[in-house]
Amino acid sequence: MNKKIKQALIEIVGEENYTDSLIDMVSFSYDASEHSHRPACAVWAETADQVSEILKLSNRERIPVIPRGAGTGLSGMAVPIEGGIVLDLSRMNRIVKISIEDRLAVVQPGVVYADLEKALAPFGFLFPPDPASGTVSTLGGNVATNAGGLKGAKYGTTKDYVLGLQVVLPDGRIMRTGSKTMKSVSGYDMTKLFVGSEGTLGVVTEIILKINPKPTATSTALATFDSLEDTGRAINQIMHSGIIPSALEILGRETLAAINQNTDLNLPEVEAMLLAETDGYTQEETDYQIKKVIQNFEENNAKEVKQARTDKEVKDLWAARKSAYAVLARIKTHFVLEDVTVPMTKIAELLKGIQAISEKRHIRIATYGHAGDGNLHPQILYNGYDPEQVKRMEEASADLFKLAIDLDGTLTGEHGIGLSKASFMTLEHDPVAMDVMRHIKKMFDPNNILNPGKMGLEAAPGAVR
Amino acid sequence: MTSKYEFEKKYREQILKCSRCGFCQAVCPVYGATLRPALNARGKMLILKEVMDGKIDLNDELIETMFQCTTCANCFHNCPSGVEVPDIIKEVRKDMVKVGSCHPAFKGMNEVLDKHSNIYAEDEPEDFERERNKQAEYVYFIGCVGSYREDESTMATLDLLDRLKVNYTLIDEVCCSGVLEDVGYKIKDHLATENIDLILKTGAMTVITGCPYCSRTFNNKPQYASLKEKGIKIIHITQFLQDFDFNVKTDKRVTYHAPCDLGRHCGIYEEPRNTIRKIATNFVEMPDNRENALCCGAGGGVRGAYAKNSIAMARRRLEQAEEVGAEVVLTECNSCVHNLANAKLRKQKFKIYNTTEFINELMEEAE
Repeated sequence: MNKKIKQALIEIVGEENYTDSLIDMVSFSYDASEHSHRPACAVWAETADQVSEILKLSNRERIPVIPRGAGTGLSGMAVPIEGGIVLDLSRMNRIVKISIEDRLAVVQPGVVYADLEKALAPFGFLFPPDPASGTVSTLGGNVATNAGGLKGAKYGTTKDYVLGLQVVLPDGRIMRTGSKTMKSVSGYDMTKLFVGSEGTLGVVTEIILKINPKPTATSTALATFDSLEDTGRAINQIMHSGIIPSALEILGRETLAAINQNTDLNLPEVEAMLLAETDGYTQEETDYQIKKVIQNFEENNAKEVKQARTDKEVKDLWAARKSAYAVLARIKTHFVLEDVTVPMTKIAELLKGIQAISEKRHIRIATYGHAGDGNLHPQILYNGYDPEQVKRMEEASADLFKLAIDLDGTLTGEHGIGLSKASFMTLEHDPVAMDVMRHIKKMFDPNNILNPGKMGLEAAPGAVR
Repeated sequence: MTSKYEFEKKYREQILKCSRCGFCQAVCPVYGATLRPALNARGKMLILKEVMDGKIDLNDELIETMFQCTTCANCFHNCPSGVEVPDIIKEVRKDMVKVGSCHPAFKGMNEVLDKHSNIYAEDEPEDFERERNKQAEYVYFIGCVGSYREDESTMATLDLLDRLKVNYTLIDEVCCSGVLEDVGYKIKDHLATENIDLILKTGAMTVITGCPYCSRTFNNKPQYASLKEKGIKIIHITQFLQDFDFNVKTDKRVTYHAPCDLGRHCGIYEEPRNTIRKIATNFVEMPDNRENALCCGAGGGVRGAYAKNSIAMARRRLEQAEEVGAEVVLTECNSCVHNLANAKLRKQKFKIYNTTEFINELMEEAE
C-alpha cells in the first residue's frame, strides 16, 4: 500500500486498526473456500463514519475494498482476488438493542450469530436461520451471503428476517433501508437487494432483525431407505402432508459409508437416511407431527424407522448428521462443499445425478443436506496438490451445476456465488437478468471498488467456464 | 520433496487437513482478546501452509503469531478436521528457534534455566518453614509459579496437607523445565536429573504436584521416564485430595475454572468438582466449562511474551465468573491463579484461590 494511502487510512481508523504485516495479509487472503489472494492491507472499522471515510478514499483512489466478517464463506466471497483493502467488520460487534415488545434486535455487523443467540435466550427468543457456522460467523456475513441453515424449510433464511439496514455506499454516503416494523411496502425493497449481495453494492453497518419466539419442544425420528425413489417420494409426501418439519435432513450412501469408515457409529449402509425434527410448544403437538412424518416414511418403504424417546436417543439420531462434515473433511487434503438446490420433487433425480457424475469423473462425492428445502451439499473430495484430481473436481463441479439447472434448480441455495460459481452465473440467469444485475452494480458502484471479481458481474455476457 | 523444516516432516498432512472453516476462531482465546484472525489456529495453519508451499519462510515476521498461542487446545477440541494445533505450534517454534527467529522472552527463559534453577532467576528460594529432602511417603513438588509467585497459596496448601496428616516432604526442587518444550527449546537434562535424584532419595513412591504442567512433564516426557520405571506415581494434588473428607462447608457461591493443562490436556474434569461439591453447597458452573473452558491466557509462554493480551484473555474468563455471580473462583493451577488475580478488576468482588488454599481457609476458620 502506498505511503500516502496508508497514512490516510491510519488517520481514519487509528494505528492499531491498520495492518499490512505479513501474517495478517496471509490470513486475510483466505476464507473457507479453495481460493486465495493477498490484499495490500487491512483495516478494522469501528463506526459507520469510519467505513464511510474508507470508502470515500478508496473510491477516489480506485482501490478495491473487500468487506469481511468471520471469513467462513465457502465460495471465496471474502477473498481479495484483486488485492486492495480488506475491511474487517468483526470489531463492530455491539448488540445495539433488543426489543422483545417490537420483536426485533438491532445489531452491528460484527456480532457473532451465537452471541445474539445467547443474548436472546433469556427472553425465549431467537433469530432462526441457524447456519452451521453459527458459533463463529458474523451477522453481517449472514446478511451479505443471505445465509441459510438446517431449518430453512420451516423458518426460511436470513432474508426473511432482515427488516432494515444501515448501508454505506461506495461513494461514502450512508443510507438507511427498511424500517422497524413487521410490515412495510414503502418504496422499493432495498433491504432485500443488499441481503445476499456479497458485499458488492455497499457495506452493511447496522442490521434490524426480526426475531422469533423459540419453540420449547421437539420430536425426532429417523428412517433408512434402500431406494432413492422411495426417499424422494417420502420427502415430497412429508412436505405436502400439512406438517412442516423444523428439520428434514438427508445423508446419502457415500456419506454413510464414509462415516462408518471413520467412526464407530455403525450406520446401516443404505441408499439414504432421512432425519426429521418437528418443533412446537408442547410434546403432544410435536409428537403428533412426528407421527405423521413416520407414517410417510413407512408408506414409502422405509427399511428401518426410529423415534427418539429420550434426550440421549435424540443425540444418537443426530450423531450421524452432525458428524458428516467433520468426517468428510478428514478424508482427503481438500474438498469443495457445494450447495445446489432443486425443487423438492427433483431431489431423487439430483442424488442419482450426483452418483453418476462421481462415477463419470472418477472422484468421490459424498452428499448430505437439507432435504426439506431441496438444498443438498455434495462434498467433492480430492487432493489439491494433484493437478489431475483438481481437473476432475472442476469438471465434476461444472457437471453438478449443469445438472441442478437442468432440474430447474439453482447453483447455490445458501453459500453464494463468490468466486467459485462466478463463471456459472450465465448458466442460471438469462442475458437480460445478467444485464440488469450488471446495471445495478454499476449504479451503486460505478468504479467497481466494492468486492470486485465476484458474482460474475464483470464477465463478458454469455461466458461459461 | 524434501522438507526444509521438521514441522513439515511431522505434520504436513495435518496442516493440509485444516479446511479453513474457522470454527477455531470461536474458541481461540487469543482471537477472543484481539479479534485478529492471523492469531487464531486457522491463521496459523494458513501461514504454515504458505511456508510449506515455499511462498514464505519461517522468519521474524511470524514470531507474533507463532509465539502467541497459549496451547490451550480449545481449537483442537473443536476442529472438525482434528488438526492437532498445539503440537504443531510447539514443533514450529523449535524450527523457528533453529533459524534464529524466536521471541526474546523465550530465548531469555532458556538462558535463565542454563544458569538458574527456576524460570524467575530467583536465587533465594522460599523455605516454606519446612524441612526438605526427608524420607516420606509423598513428595510435594511445588513448581516455579507456586514457589516464587503464589507462595501464599503454596503455604496454605502445605498447611492443608499437614492438617490432613499427610506424610510428605518438599525437596530442593528445580524447574521441571517442561515449559521449554512449548516455547521452542528442550527440557534441560541436568535439571531433570536433579529432580529425579532428589525424588528418589526420599523413598516416596508418589509425587504430588501443585502444578498441572509439572505433572504432565513428569508423566509424559522421556527425560523423566525413569520415575515411572521405578514405579513412582505422579499425580496432581486435585487427584490426591478427592479421597479426603474435610468436614467443612461454605454457602458462598463457588465456581471452578478448569486449567487447560488439567482439563483438555489430561481429561481431569470431575476430580476437582467432586472435591468442591463436598465443601460448597452453592456450586455453579461458568457458561464455558469442562472441555469448553476458556483459557486464562497464561499458557504457552504468552503471559511472559504478550502480557497485555494475556490479561485480556483472563478478563474474558473473569467476566464469566461475574456473569454467574460467583463469590469464589477456584482453580487448580498457580499460573491460572496468578493470571486471573492480576486481571481481576476492583469492581469484581469475588476471590480467586487454588482449591487447596480455600479449603485450608475454611478449616482454619472452623478451628
